[in-house]
Amino acid sequence: MKHRKATSESTIATLRRLLGLMRRQTPWLLGGAALSLLSTLAGIGLMAVSGRFITAMALAGLSDAAINYYTPAALIRLFAILRTGGRYAERLVTHEATLRALSGVRIWLFERLVPLAPARLGALRSAQLFARLRADVDALEQAYLAILVPVAVAILASLVVWATMLAYLPVLAAAVGILMLFAGALVPAWIVRAGARPGADVVAADEALRALAMDGVLGRAELALYGAEAAHAEHMRRLTRTQQSARRRVDRLQAIGGASVTLAMQWTVVAALALGIPALRSGALRGPDLAMLVLLGQAGFEALSSLPDAWAQLGSTLASARRIFALADTEPALRDPVAPAMPPSGNDLCLRDVRLRYHDTGPWVLDGIDLDLPAGRHLALVGASGAGKSSLVHALTRLYPHQGSITLGGTALEALSGEAVRARIAVVDQRPYLFHASLRDNLLLARPEASDEDLNAAITQARLDDCVSRLPQGLDTHLGEDGARVSGGEARRIAIARALLADAPILVLDEPTEGLDATTAAALYQALAQAMRGRSVLLITHRLGGLSALVDEIVELAHGRVVDRRAPVSGHRPAQQPSTN
Amino acid sequence: MTTTPSPMAWLRAQARPQRRLLFAGVALGATQALLLCIGAWLVARILAHAILDRSGLRMFWPALAALAGIAVLRFIMTLAQRRLTFEAGARVSIQVRNALETQLRRRGTQQSSGELVTRLVDGIDALAPYYSRYLPQLAFAALVPALLLLAVLPADPWSALILFVTAPLIPVFMILAGRAAQQASQRRWDRLKRLGERFMDALGGLTTLRLLRAVEREQAQLAVAGEAYRRETMAVLRVAFLSALVLEFFATVSIAVVAVLIGFRLLWGTLGFEQGLFVLLLAPEFYLPLRVLGAQRHQRMDAASAAEDLVAWLQKPHATDPVATRMTHAPRSMAPVAMRFEHVAFGLDERMILQDIDFSVAAGESITLVGASGCGKSTLLDLVMGFGQPDSGRIRIDGNDLEASDIADWRARIAWVPQRPHVFQGSLRDNLLLAAPDADTQAIARAVQAAVLGPVIKRLPLGLDTPLGERGRGLSGGECQRLALARAWLRDASLLLLDEPTQHLDTTTAQAVDKALERLAAGRTVLRVAHRLEAIDDRDTVLVMAHGRIVERGTAGGLREAGGVFADLLAADLAA
Repeated sequence: MKHRKATSESTIATLRRLLGLMRRQTPWLLGGAALSLLSTLAGIGLMAVSGRFITAMALAGLSDAAINYYTPAALIRLFAILRTGGRYAERLVTHEATLRALSGVRIWLFERLVPLAPARLGALRSAQLFARLRADVDALEQAYLAILVPVAVAILASLVVWATMLAYLPVLAAAVGILMLFAGALVPAWIVRAGARPGADVVAADEALRALAMDGVLGRAELALYGAEAAHAEHMRRLTRTQQSARRRVDRLQAIGGASVTLAMQWTVVAALALGIPALRSGALRGPDLAMLVLLGQAGFEALSSLPDAWAQLGSTLASARRIFALADTEPALRDPVAPAMPPSGNDLCLRDVRLRYHDTGPWVLDGIDLDLPAGRHLALVGASGAGKSSLVHALTRLYPHQGSITLGGTALEALSGEAVRARIAVVDQRPYLFHASLRDNLLLARPEASDEDLNAAITQARLDDCVSRLPQGLDTHLGEDGARVSGGEARRIAIARALLADAPILVLDEPTEGLDATTAAALYQALAQAMRGRSVLLITHRLGGLSALVDEIVELAHGRVVDRRAPVSGHRPAQQPSTN
Repeated sequence: MTTTPSPMAWLRAQARPQRRLLFAGVALGATQALLLCIGAWLVARILAHAILDRSGLRMFWPALAALAGIAVLRFIMTLAQRRLTFEAGARVSIQVRNALETQLRRRGTQQSSGELVTRLVDGIDALAPYYSRYLPQLAFAALVPALLLLAVLPADPWSALILFVTAPLIPVFMILAGRAAQQASQRRWDRLKRLGERFMDALGGLTTLRLLRAVEREQAQLAVAGEAYRRETMAVLRVAFLSALVLEFFATVSIAVVAVLIGFRLLWGTLGFEQGLFVLLLAPEFYLPLRVLGAQRHQRMDAASAAEDLVAWLQKPHATDPVATRMTHAPRSMAPVAMRFEHVAFGLDERMILQDIDFSVAAGESITLVGASGCGKSTLLDLVMGFGQPDSGRIRIDGNDLEASDIADWRARIAWVPQRPHVFQGSLRDNLLLAAPDADTQAIARAVQAAVLGPVIKRLPLGLDTPLGERGRGLSGGECQRLALARAWLRDASLLLLDEPTQHLDTTTAQAVDKALERLAAGRTVLRVAHRLEAIDDRDTVLVMAHGRIVERGTAGGLREAGGVFADLLAADLAA
């Protein structure tokens, strides 16, 4: 009981917060709801007045009495116009409101997530969680259109219908009130409770199925080779059956919700007749009014008919909203200082006893690093995967908090704003992210004011010429989802071009040649050599190879510590290598 | 054979096997319309007698009881109908899922983007509502008005005429003005989707944006894009909603006209009150199915856009035929394999990948394949594993044509360490057992030791039982490769296929793995793809590939001296 109260409170709190986000669009939101109410009431009124009108006309026709038929006929016309125009206006206004509110919500979420990336945003790295975040944001779109408006309109319109009945026949109002509560509140509330379990089952099954399908694609060769395809297909079928049976239960509940409204509507008609006919005989009610009440009862439930769907969506939308709020409320891993220091003039990087770990209780990924990168020096950082090379980049670019001291030009990194630090350091990521935009836009991110000449110069330097000339629309070719149109090596070179455009005094290259064939890699070295001139460089790789010609010093990292420093041996070759001369 | 059907045609075709369920559901809906007429007739009759004849309630109890009963009956029928049509949707989605799985099986190892496939899988879920809700509603929109018209006709031909005239006007008008509206709403649908995609793209690249200090610019652009999309979308919506306006207009105005005409004819005494009421009660129901259909149109659009992806993908040509069980059932043999490629050629999507590949590997021999990336080395391994069949030429295993032998038996003799091994959802142990479901603890321990997986297991919180998430989260590239090595060890096969097994490893681990591989290779036939030429032993037999052909063969030492393609590759590799 207590628990339920707590969830209902947080339900209201979540809804209020959601509405708060849309506050700036209040006139649109209210306007849409008002129009919706107006057109709903006009539709109900049209039927009620029509019933009354034809009964009065029939009675007048039988008694040859005079009758004012102008007023009701005009009312009928008015309601018809209000209904038609109102629906159209309602749709436009509610959609306008949704689009405005949603764009505001997205910007808000973006703003909140920026300081969280990447330290607190594991969700963005997992395709599954990312898909869920996307679905959550889309679900918020439905909050106003599919939930708030229908619920508000249902409550208000039902109140109007109920009040009208109360005015004409109080006993009927009592009966219909019960039926309305039954179909509009009791049954939906029961459905929400009964549907929680299968609803959660559906979500779980969906997620498991998606993961399994992913395995089926990416691990197909392994499945085939190990003769596990049949077992995989069987697993898939079993999971599909589970998913379908959960969905079946959810669908059944929804069907009950919808059918209950129709049932209550028909019973309202029965109640209007059973209670109205004695009132008619006793003279408490006139004939036309009875016909009106019957039609009012029938049409009045129209407002309730969208409630079951709205209720069904409420739970999942709230869950989406809660997940989004929880994400947006995450404390950033590090914050900029309140009063950042002036960026220093020098670019010497100096690390002393630097430690970093990703979780409060996790192992130290960097465990006391001492390192100097004076301006203009080229340093290679080598070590096995997991030695902490990439973590060092995270600390340097102020994406993860570190312990110990890192100074840039003599100023502690923590005293500077993250932006100021990143203005000095350009990073070529191991797995660069390419945006779903043209190549040009992807490059311009690094320097928005760059001219075509700048772009072409960077492209030539990064050995991207071939790639660009191969693309159908050159620079303006759309790169597609996550750069699907370019190979891994090309993506790396695009990132290098970006870094060159960013033109920072310190260049960090994270595995720049991994996955490139020898010829391309060799070409890239020349490009890099040129780009590195006049800049400090931190070159991170697990295998130095020909890169050793580019650096002044080699620092070897193992288990988060510097274990060896050496000058590159000119003509250095791996030991097992037979001499080629 | 591969003419691609339009998405809509494909969607309709999927309904065919389920038509019994759909027909039954629609029949139940039509029966409900019949009950609706009876109910309306009862209400009209009761009201007419109560108002005109002043009859007492006692007279009406049977009719009122019947009305309440009809309500219950309709309730039950609604549930039954929903159940039937749900089943139709569920079965179609199972059907499509199976088709997708079959297609994946046929395509074997051909590259397909994981993202695309998640979209396909999610798309299947978008199909169900089309069959369970939209299609039945489409039938109701045609059937129910026709039934109601038949009921109204004897009661009041004039009203029937009004309904009859306006009802077809609605679809006609919707087709005339609606074709544009249809396209417009499709565009609106696409726009809304694209706006969302743009946003998610920005979130996905948030770290990159921060590193490039482009956050504020992106945020401003998001706001601008949202604003632009809103304006464009609203322009589209103003047109798109016109079709709804037309529908609403006809539905509402004809109810008003019917009511007014009935009223005046009642006044003039040319129509019975009971008939007039009956028609008025039915009039809104006449348009209701069409209105509901309009509200469900998005289900059709969702299904159509999902179908577009699905059709394109399901119709794609594939490399292999469905792997039927083949004739010769050779007993599983542990003896090393002798393999021979005879003038093998293989192409995909009209592009030749392998041409005139002709070489043999003796039982127990070890051969290294080298060549620039994209020269066909991995495809060659694919053919050996039966992921694709030569367009011409043949592959002989111990003298038997591979195409004529049982592919499952053959694969059981292969152990494979791919370049990018897949880590399945499940524990590390599950992932190892995939290669040998019956392996005991000892065998696992041996494999773990051989592949130098021990330190990895020690690091994981639950050791061997640690669940490995999506795409092997928690394992680095090198660790995934060692996992694949352990699998190969467990496999205990007679042919070993290695695709640069030490690529992501540091020197110490690479040496340990190399030593383990040497032991594993003893007494087996080995085909190894090498990207790093410097690590090849001078005595190794090397096949050099270029542009899908074998251009050189010999020992590494000999080829180096000969100064051909291999020597060039080696020089480039050393410079790198």
